[in-house]
Amino acid sequence: MDILAFLAQGFAVALEPQNLFLAFIGCVIGTLIGALPGLGPVNGVALMIPLSFNFSLPATGALILLVSVYYGCMYGGRISSIVLNIPGDEPAMMTTLDGYPMALQGRGGEALGLSAVASFAGAGVATLGLALFAPLLVQFAIRFGPAEYFALFVLAFATIGGVTGGSLVKSFIAAFLGLLLGSVGIDAVSGVPRYTFGLYELYDGIDFIVALVGLFAISECLIYLEDIRGTSRPTLRLGSAMPGVRSAGRCAPTIARGSLIGFVAGVLPGAGAALGSFLAYMLEKRWVGRDGSFGQGDPRGVAAPEAGNNAAAGGALIPMLSLGIPGSGTTAILLALLLSMNITPGPLLFEQQPEMVWGLVAALVIGNFVLLVLNVPLVSLFARVLLAPGWFLMPLVVMVAFVGVYSLNNSAFDLYMMLGFGVLGYALRKLEIPTVPVVLGLLLGGQMEFNLRRAMAISGGDWSILWSSGISVGIYLFAVTLIVAGLVYSWRIRGRLA
Amino acid sequence: MSELLQDDAGRVPGVIGDRIAGVLLLVLAVGAWWLSHDLESGFMQPIGPGEYPRLISLPLAALSLLLILRPGVNQRWPGRAVLLRQALTLLVLASFAGLVKPLGFLPASLVAVVLLVRLFGAAWKPALVSGAVLALALYALFEFALGIPLPDMPGLDW
Repeated sequence: MDILAFLAQGFAVALEPQNLFLAFIGCVIGTLIGALPGLGPVNGVALMIPLSFNFSLPATGALILLVSVYYGCMYGGRISSIVLNIPGDEPAMMTTLDGYPMALQGRGGEALGLSAVASFAGAGVATLGLALFAPLLVQFAIRFGPAEYFALFVLAFATIGGVTGGSLVKSFIAAFLGLLLGSVGIDAVSGVPRYTFGLYELYDGIDFIVALVGLFAISECLIYLEDIRGTSRPTLRLGSAMPGVRSAGRCAPTIARGSLIGFVAGVLPGAGAALGSFLAYMLEKRWVGRDGSFGQGDPRGVAAPEAGNNAAAGGALIPMLSLGIPGSGTTAILLALLLSMNITPGPLLFEQQPEMVWGLVAALVIGNFVLLVLNVPLVSLFARVLLAPGWFLMPLVVMVAFVGVYSLNNSAFDLYMMLGFGVLGYALRKLEIPTVPVVLGLLLGGQMEFNLRRAMAISGGDWSILWSSGISVGIYLFAVTLIVAGLVYSWRIRGRLA
Repeated sequence: MSELLQDDAGRVPGVIGDRIAGVLLLVLAVGAWWLSHDLESGFMQPIGPGEYPRLISLPLAALSLLLILRPGVNQRWPGRAVLLRQALTLLVLASFAGLVKPLGFLPASLVAVVLLVRLFGAAWKPALVSGAVLALALYALFEFALGIPLPDMPGLDW
C-alpha cells in the first residue's frame, strides 16, 4: 500500500475550504473547552455532536470538526493546570505538578510555550503513527469473523477494567450496566421490543448522544454546584510564551521519550490519554529526576506529560478507526458519531472510504500546526477565558447541551432522559464507579450482541465457535493477562498504602 | 492513575453508598433476568432476544453481590445545602424541558437562565443582567447564526 499516495489524496480532502474552516473552528473551540476547568475532551466532544448533526455536515466534515475539538482540548487542558493549578481535564493533571510551580516563579509564559511545543511534538508523533500503523492493523483485522470481533469487544472491556486503576469490580459493574442499558429497544433480529415498558420513545433504544451529554455535561454541572467559586481567581503574571520554544529545544530528549510512551499507552484499548501523561511523567522522573527538581518547577516535568497526553490522544484513534474498538471515552464518542452516520469503522472503512480516513489524518496534521500557532503566540488570549466566572460558564454549558439534545428530535422526552442520565452520572462518580465503561457498554452492546448471534447462527447454536480460532483464543488470553495484571497492580498499590 | 494521585481527603468509606448501589443494581439485574423470559419468539435462531440480556444480568448480579459484601470507597457525599441546590437546579431544568415547547424558547430560556445563573452562585443583580444577556445571545446564536430551529413564542412568527 502506498501511504504517500493516500496521504496526498487525504490532503486534497482536508484542504477543501469547508474542511479547512471546520478544522480551524474545531481547534479554537477545543482549546477553549479544554482550558475551562472541569470541561475536558469528553464533555467537549459530547457537546459538539448534537450541534454537528444540526449543521447536517457530511461525515468527513463532522469527523474533522470533532477530532479537531479533541486535539484542541488536549492542548487547552494544560492552560488552567499551569495558570490556576486546576487541571483543565484529567489528562492535564500531571502538568500541574511542575507547571504551577513554574508559574509561581514568574515562568508561566515559558511553561505555556514549552507545553505547546511538547503537545505539538506528541500529537505529531501520534499522527505519524496513525498513518503508519493503522493500515498494518487493518490488514491483520481483515481476516476477523464474528467470533473474533466478539472476542475483541471482550478485550476492550477487560482493558478498561484492568488499566483505569480504580476498583476492578466497579469498572465491570459499569460495563455490564452499560451493556444492559444498550439492550433496551426493539431487538434487530427478531423485532421483539425489550425493556421498553410500552414507551414508544424507547423503541429505538436509548439514544446514545442523549445519554452521553447527560452522563458527562449535566453531571459535571451537578459536581460544580458542590463547590461554587463565585469570586474571581488571583491572576499571575504570565510573560511571553516565546522563551518556552527555546526551552523546548533543551527538553527535546524528554519530549521524544514522552511522545513514544504516550503513543503506546494510547494505542492500548481502554487506556487513554490520562495513562499516557501519567506514565510519561513518572518514567521521566525516574530516569532524569534524581536531583529532586521534579515538582519544583522543572521544565522537563511540564514537557513529558504534555507530550505524553497528546501522543496518547492520537494513538487512541488507531484502534477506533481500524478495529472499531474505542480506546477511551472520547474515541468512544467519535465512534458513536460514525455509527450514527451509518459508517462502521474497521477494516472495511479503509478499503471503501479511504478518502475519509486519509482526509482525517491530513486534517490532524494541519490542525496540529493551527494549534501550535494558537497556543504559542495567542495563548494569553485563551488564558483570559479562565477569568470568566463559573456562574456564567456553567449555565452556558447547560443551555448548549439542552439545545443540542432538543434539536435532535424536538422531544422533551430526550431532555428528561438527559437529566436522568445526569443524575446517574453524578451518582456513579460519587460512588467511584467509572462512567466511561457505561458509555462503552451502551455504545458497543448492540454490535457485541450482533456478532455473538451471527457467530451462533454460523455454528448452529454451538457455543464453542467463540473460542475455536487461534486469533480469538489469543485475544482472550491477552484480555485475561490484562485483568490479572490490573489485579496484581491494585493489590500492590493497596499493600504500599497500608 | 487519577485515583492514585488524589489525596484521601475527599474520599470516605463507601459502606452505606456502595451497599445501596449494590442493592439497586441487584434488583435491576434480577428484574432484567425475570423480564427476559417474556422475550421468547418462535424465530428460527439459535439464540433468541432474551438470551443476551440474561448473559449480561447474571454477571451484573454477581458483581452487585460482591459490591454489597465488600464495599469500597466513595467520594465525599454532599451536605444538605448542596443537595437542595442540586435539586433546585434539576427542577429548573426539568421545568424548562417541559415548558420550552408550549412557551417558546425565548421566554422559557430567559427565566431558566436567570435562575440557573443565580443557582450557580451569582447575586440577583448580575444574575438578572447576565442571565438576560446570555439567553438573548444564545437565542441569536442558535436561531440566526447556526440556523437551528427552536420553538417560537406562541403568536410570534419570525
